Amino acid sequence: MYANFDLLVPDELDQALTMIGGAKTAEDCAPLGGGTNLVVDMRASGKAPAALVSVARLPGLRGITIAEGTVTLGAATTVSDLLRDPRMLEVGAAMVDGSRVFAGQMVRNTATVAGNICCGSPAADLVPPLLALGASVTLRSAGGERTVPLDEYFTGYKTSVRRPDELLTSISWPVPAENSASRFYKLGRRKGDAITMVGVSVLVGMKDGVCSEVRIALGAVGPCVFRAKTAETVLKGKAPSPELVEQAARKAMEEAAPIDDVRATGAYRKQQVQVLVRRLLNQTIESLS
Amino acid sequence: MNKMDSAVPGEQNVSYRQIGKPRTRIDSPGKVFGKTPYAGDYVMPNMLHAKVLRSKLPSARMTRLDVSKARDLPGVACVLTYKDLKIGTVATDIPAQTGFRRRDTDQQILVDEIVRYQGEPIALVAAESVEIAEHALSLIEVELEPVPGVYDVFEAQKPDAPKVFGDDNIVASYKVRKGDVEAGFAAAETIVENTFRTQYIEHAFLEPEVGLGWEDEQGVINIRTSTQAVETFRYIADAIGIPHSKVRIRGALVGGGFGGKCDVTVELYIALLTLKTGRPVRLGYTREDSFYGHGKRHPFIISHKTGFAKDGRITASKIDITSESGPYAFMSPYVLMYATEAGPGPYLVDNVHIDSRSVATNNMYTSAFRGFGATQACIAYEQQMDEAAKVLGMDPIELRRINLLKTGDAIATGFEVQSAVWTEECMDRAWAALGEKPKDEGAIRYGHGIAAYQQGYGRMIWLHDTAEGWVGVEMDGTVVVRSGMTDIGAGQTSSLAQIAGELLGVDMMDITVYNSDSSTTPLAGTSSATRGLYMSGNAVRNAATAVRNRLAARAAQHFGVADSDIDFADSRVFVASDREKSLPFKELIATCASEGIHRSELAIFRAPFGDWIDPETGQGQVHPDYTYGAHAVQVAVDTETGEVTILKSVGAHDVGQCVNIAAVEGQIEGGVAQGHGYALSEELIYKDGCLVTPSLSEYLCPTSMDSPRIECIILESRSGLGPFGAKGIGEPGHTPAASAVANAVADAIGARVHDFPLTPEKIARAVSATRDNG
Repeated sequence: MYANFDLLVPDELDQALTMIGGAKTAEDCAPLGGGTNLVVDMRASGKAPAALVSVARLPGLRGITIAEGTVTLGAATTVSDLLRDPRMLEVGAAMVDGSRVFAGQMVRNTATVAGNICCGSPAADLVPPLLALGASVTLRSAGGERTVPLDEYFTGYKTSVRRPDELLTSISWPVPAENSASRFYKLGRRKGDAITMVGVSVLVGMKDGVCSEVRIALGAVGPCVFRAKTAETVLKGKAPSPELVEQAARKAMEEAAPIDDVRATGAYRKQQVQVLVRRLLNQTIESLS
Repeated sequence: MNKMDSAVPGEQNVSYRQIGKPRTRIDSPGKVFGKTPYAGDYVMPNMLHAKVLRSKLPSARMTRLDVSKARDLPGVACVLTYKDLKIGTVATDIPAQTGFRRRDTDQQILVDEIVRYQGEPIALVAAESVEIAEHALSLIEVELEPVPGVYDVFEAQKPDAPKVFGDDNIVASYKVRKGDVEAGFAAAETIVENTFRTQYIEHAFLEPEVGLGWEDEQGVINIRTSTQAVETFRYIADAIGIPHSKVRIRGALVGGGFGGKCDVTVELYIALLTLKTGRPVRLGYTREDSFYGHGKRHPFIISHKTGFAKDGRITASKIDITSESGPYAFMSPYVLMYATEAGPGPYLVDNVHIDSRSVATNNMYTSAFRGFGATQACIAYEQQMDEAAKVLGMDPIELRRINLLKTGDAIATGFEVQSAVWTEECMDRAWAALGEKPKDEGAIRYGHGIAAYQQGYGRMIWLHDTAEGWVGVEMDGTVVVRSGMTDIGAGQTSSLAQIAGELLGVDMMDITVYNSDSSTTPLAGTSSATRGLYMSGNAVRNAATAVRNRLAARAAQHFGVADSDIDFADSRVFVASDREKSLPFKELIATCASEGIHRSELAIFRAPFGDWIDPETGQGQVHPDYTYGAHAVQVAVDTETGEVTILKSVGAHDVGQCVNIAAVEGQIEGGVAQGHGYALSEELIYKDGCLVTPSLSEYLCPTSMDSPRIECIILESRSGLGPFGAKGIGEPGHTPAASAVANAVADAIGARVHDFPLTPEKIARAVSATRDNG
């Protein structure tokens, strides 16, 4: 059974910012994207914020723009929107990987990328690809706007630097450099509509025979999605070799701090971080040589 | 029947005009166009909404229950606790039409002192809205004092274990003693021993339990509900203390049952609240209510010790079976019987020794689930066969071939099966359909697995099963069928139309079937136990045949030929040897009507009746007959992550005779998908009696993304006891699927995971254990 709440559907961004502007805590007001997570949680817990502010009708918030070396997704962009845009393979292959295995078709049609970030789940499938791509998010409030690297966005389990009076309005990342590749792999208990046991995304850029860019992001193996930075440094600036890949995979495993739950044990998750980081690094490096 | 060239995929040159064809079912148009109301769609003016308060603890003593605040809440019409009940208990062990009932297996309707499982109902609320009813639940003050429970079947058998059921926690136990098992082992060249475990699983029907009750002008409590069994009206009447004739269950088309809608759930609460308030009451379970509110599939622990001669022939089979019943009996004794009977599988074994028991715990209670214990037995005996083949260094297909039962051979209980046993043909065809195994690539390994099976259809013969059916011809030549059988989505009513239509020469779309009303349609028993087509199909066949014979006699008189020369087709009656001589069916009907010839018939079909098997030896007949077949699966396993992809899944079954081949395929496909989930992902996990997977987010049924195209190979021996030689397929399609997946995975990774489900984690662990060992 749902708790009572007000559903606010503003037509203009300013109106939306005013509506959310009075919120002191997440219990006062929450932004509503596709609702595929928020509404399910509200039903399960019987608790709801006093008001939900929908981003669905805000003009200009749904869409993908690629300009001046930057990819920008509006906050109302759905997961299916990503899959329908053929340019995404060029500018964010890991996002395509993530979108393909994101929940199921019905959820993809309505769930938003911004919502996936805002729900803050460590198992969110689009966050590892976004971290690998080096994405930032734009937070707007009635008082102004700020841009935060996604890497600094999450502060813990389902917590972030977003203030209750702020809306996440867009997500952007630099168009990957020439000769770079990105991948995401979701390890789930089943293929459709699964909650991720381990999610791994990597981006590797090669220049002059060395790994000029390396980002490795891990999902569902810590309180929030995070980058395995020690593992990244193993490869960064070096010519890739099986030994270095193995070493990076092992470092990533050491950085993972998963829990036991109904889906898998922490020990298995840790071991799979190593398997998947090794596999994805090999695949990306191979695709570049 | 006319003999024509075979147009059905049968093995003999027999054909029918409607039987066996892939016809659109009579229930399809209503479903496709959204006209079919399900039980949850029914509403009434002045209706109340009900909710159930459940125990959060699995084993507790209730020290306080105060519902006064809930009763005082405006909009609450009624709150019921155990103190308000005239009779505190309801039967759980309620098989068939015989009225047998084991009194010591009754369940408390509402907790009066002791809570025995998590989710046990404590109070019922009826209010003006669902919201008010929910609010009222939160105002009920309950204090539960935890008492030590028992959550493990082995712990529960220890002398000092808390007693959940009787004085020893044993709900039922059986033995089979056939031949001389010790001599058999002595003669064996090789002995193979393994223990296999299966898990709790959920039916997860699309439509959770729901119903609407009201009291009519005759004081009858009517309940429109989603059920596999309208006969539960008797047990509801007994439990609420009114005559059987004053409770009427009206079924609706059911959105999935799989055994989970055989027991009484919402209908009893609806009856109590309707009786108390005098107003219509609707109770619809949420998915979460459904997880806590009906019995689950039994977990089993099955140990096999099998002796093999040098040539691979089985010399002895010793099997130990333990199932978990939870705190109440429900169908546990019968499920255990099925597992015991099926213990050694579809193999000829002269020396058999089986001990089985069902053990009570404070985990969730268990009851009927498609396959009814025979599935769990199959998971054990078919994995055992593959493990044995590995030890013996034999091909698993050849090992099976050497040992398979043939027509006339005696099964474990000594009963000699008289119908066709085409397991070998099914096995070979399913296996061949897999084709070549792909070459392994990197971490990906491919595997092929087979599973053969034996599954009884119809009820155990000591339950003296019967079904009635009525067929009548209208003045315009259309036909009406009345049957108490419930339609749980498998095409039950449509098959009755097809059978009556075949016999009366009327297209099935011109036949209307009224069904599943406990007061106005002839009682036919549950749609469970793979008995719907067998029992009700035969009842309707008997009724339609009686009508046909009377009409044929009048037509023969008209044409001046013998009765046997009359045939019916396309709404005409004609002389088979001279088809020019014919009449529209409705003209014959008009003649019969004016002469007072009876155009309808109420018929009964009786399955074979017999006595309970010998309690000391387990020898005797259990089922009327059996269905045989095999399932084959091809998988790809990622040996690093443990992920499994099912690439091909092929069921080959001798169904005796298809009534509607499209419906047969539907039954097989659905059963197989359920089997895939059983093997790989589905599991209700109880931690000290508390469910830790209480929603479809943690409880993982296969999605369309997880399911390959399922191939059906349908053989027709026309040797079954059902109409036109049909055997049952409702459960059999499901029975071997999970075992075949397990065998395919073991083939792929070269190791066996003995405990279901085969999660990626368990598979990855088994792979690394193999590597560590060499």
